[in-house]
Amino acid sequence: MEVIEHPIVFTLFGFIPVRDTVVYTWITMAGIIALVLILKLIKPNLLEYLLEMIISILDDAMDVDDLHPYIPLLGSLMIFTLVSNSVSVIPRMKSPTSDINTTIALALIVVLSVHVYGILKKGAWKYLKDFASPIFMFPLEIIGQFSRTLSLSIRLFGNIVSGDLIVAIVFSIIPYFLPIAMTAITLISGLLQAFVLTTLAALFISSAVEINEEDAKMKAEGKKRSLKDFFIKKFRKETANGES
Amino acid sequence: MENLSPEHIVTIVTIIVAGAAIVIGTMIPTWVEGQSAVKAIEGMARQPDASPQLRTAMLIALALLETASIYVLLVVLVLLFANPLVTRFFGG
Repeated sequence: MEVIEHPIVFTLFGFIPVRDTVVYTWITMAGIIALVLILKLIKPNLLEYLLEMIISILDDAMDVDDLHPYIPLLGSLMIFTLVSNSVSVIPRMKSPTSDINTTIALALIVVLSVHVYGILKKGAWKYLKDFASPIFMFPLEIIGQFSRTLSLSIRLFGNIVSGDLIVAIVFSIIPYFLPIAMTAITLISGLLQAFVLTTLAALFISSAVEINEEDAKMKAEGKKRSLKDFFIKKFRKETANGES
Repeated sequence: MENLSPEHIVTIVTIIVAGAAIVIGTMIPTWVEGQSAVKAIEGMARQPDASPQLRTAMLIALALLETASIYVLLVVLVLLFANPLVTRFFGG
């Protein structure tokens, strides 16, 4: 099938093989940059509106005080995924996300940036302590990182590839009118997957960054109170023993 | 039936297994997704003020549930287009 295969187009510097996914990614990036520059010249209000929309989506998903450090990564992730999911409606183009290498790269970016943001916010030692708060959960958390990467990448890849494949199969059977409906479904699915990827990344980052102040306060108070109770009990016991 | 080669048997079994897998593996996630969507829409109808949060949570839950059927689809695609069993046991 032409949709699944990704042949090597040319070789860079004689030893780096470049597959067609990379070329389509470059075309997508150039398209996004050109679109943003043209919109900036013609309609700056529309750009502002799009940015406001992305910020409101992130604001719904994340529970942090300051949203500013996360907007560049998550916003560009959302724009790139959205455009590259829906770029396959152009004839002779393939989605960059219909290759599993692209989606694994995106998922690795998300999973590594979660730790980077957590360490930047809390400091390395405190982040590690929160990461393995009961120490026996540490191996499970490590496994969770790998399964998180795998599920993020395979979800995006499977959705986009299945959409493209269904369009290709329907096109080979009935070339008139019916592929339009399938393409519309593929576009909606790509939009939803971009939204889901960004929302999941925002949720991961916000769960790594959040400082559970109430929990920490209650813990400290509880420890103090129990110590005080312990001393009071001990004192009473000793006085009772002394009196008797 | 007597003159079937082992490659043919593997191919036939693969086709049958792929069909059964895609039927079961799309039926059950779709059923569960329907249940979760019904619950979310009931909640939206009961409390229209909370519908944005409910919609976001429902979309995330649906995407996570959809992942299971996507795994099934990937396995079926590998079985149909790049079957590793034929090349491993019979040398392609």
